[in-house]
Amino acid sequence: MNNFLKIAAFTIVDQMRHKSFYVLLVVSILFVLMIRGCYQGEYIVNGKQINNITIAWQVSRIVFQMIAVGMFFMVSMLAMKIFSRDQADGSLILFLSRPVFRWQYVFGRIAGTWALCLVFMFLLHLTIFLTVWTKTGAPIPGYLAASLVISINLLFVIVCVCFLSLFMPDFISAVFTMGILLVGFISDGGQQILNNEIVKSAVAPDVNTGPALWRILYPKVFMVQAYADSIISQSRLNPMGPFHPMLNLSVFILLIMTLLLISFNKKEI
Amino acid sequence: MISLNSVTKIFGTFTAVDNISYTIEAGDHFALLGPNGAGKTTLVRMLLDFIKPTAGRITISGVPVSDPESRKQIGYLAEQHVIPPYLSGLGYLMRHASLIGLSGKNAAVEVDRVLEMVAMKGDEKKKSVAYSKGMKQRIGLAAAILGHPKLLILDEPIAGLDPIGIRQVRKILENLYDKGITVILNSHLLSEVEKTCKTAAIMYKGKILIRDSIRSIVKDGETLEDVFIKYIENENE
Repeated sequence: MNNFLKIAAFTIVDQMRHKSFYVLLVVSILFVLMIRGCYQGEYIVNGKQINNITIAWQVSRIVFQMIAVGMFFMVSMLAMKIFSRDQADGSLILFLSRPVFRWQYVFGRIAGTWALCLVFMFLLHLTIFLTVWTKTGAPIPGYLAASLVISINLLFVIVCVCFLSLFMPDFISAVFTMGILLVGFISDGGQQILNNEIVKSAVAPDVNTGPALWRILYPKVFMVQAYADSIISQSRLNPMGPFHPMLNLSVFILLIMTLLLISFNKKEI
Repeated sequence: MISLNSVTKIFGTFTAVDNISYTIEAGDHFALLGPNGAGKTTLVRMLLDFIKPTAGRITISGVPVSDPESRKQIGYLAEQHVIPPYLSGLGYLMRHASLIGLSGKNAAVEVDRVLEMVAMKGDEKKKSVAYSKGMKQRIGLAAAILGHPKLLILDEPIAGLDPIGIRQVRKILENLYDKGITVILNSHLLSEVEKTCKTAAIMYKGKILIRDSIRSIVKDGETLEDVFIKYIENENE
């Protein structure tokens, strides 16, 4: 087996040794299961009773996004210590004193962390999916596919935190990455609100002000979330600019990975 | 086996290794001596590509050290050897075995062999946090000799060991010497070097002051320590 895959496998085992990992998984699943109460009550909006399936779907869409946001925090906490911990506990010497390319080490660590978080998030989304299915008898089409789509956001967070952790303290690198996401959420979220039909009808359109170039090119983490939501709700996505958010984020991931590798290759051990 | 050609390493304004050129032949037991800050560990780290030389070229068996292939035949024991606290000695050695391409029964047999050599059989399943410094050092040595390396780089292998531990490590090394392995030993303990190495180089301020067989360096009535101090004092005058 390639050393890259071996290191990815070691990473999964290393991360899963933390008891807190299982505690977090159980707490998250319990939280998700607690939400199932929402699927049972009777809801009346404007005097009309809303059926259970509609409610279940809407709640599931919201929880889908909540899980994703929670995962951003978890992933950044896991990723921020990858290099510093390996340096301190001898793992870095273990790997690099053997015939292992530095790219195999870096990408192996990233791939392992990503795979683990992807499965973690998928399990939570799967719990929602199965709960809705059993409660309403109707599965939510595209829910699990949407979960896989947003896993690219987790990869972005991991590579971003890992890259920044080469230049700044671990926690600051995680906070900095969260800041990057927050700016994107405000920028892209604001744009989505402005594109809403109700807002459009209420606010006079300003013909001169399209989004600024930096907003079009900015990492589209929020828009990937919106794209996933459009898969679940089977609605149309209003992308900002000519590029699909998945393409935008893939380019950013490749760019940051390249910079990460160049920086790590220069790192003295 | 190892060739250094005009190798220099500069950290900021400090020259750690200053234009060093030499070769170490296969089967040699070579000691790198020098006071703290002489550049020995920097040199060892460059052999493993942990740090890049500012200038010059290093090859092992003709392969540049920047190519991980060069590390296929190397066993390395770091100066301050650390084992991840969540791994047992066995787990640690199995990872090393996996990374050099051993798997399944082959890995288990090889790990068993090296555990036997370093007298750690029976303690291999304990977590490394439960190990004494000597036990960690022996597991590190076991990792270094795993897979029958042709070149062994040992950075202060007996530092911090008690006399029994030192004797155990010496026996392991003597056993390896009989098998024709090339050994680079970086050590402060000159009496040990005198007992276990064939050739030595004395480094000071990034330069090699002398490099020869220990028999040639140490004259009758002298010890390696006498010679070492004489060279360093001469440089300081």
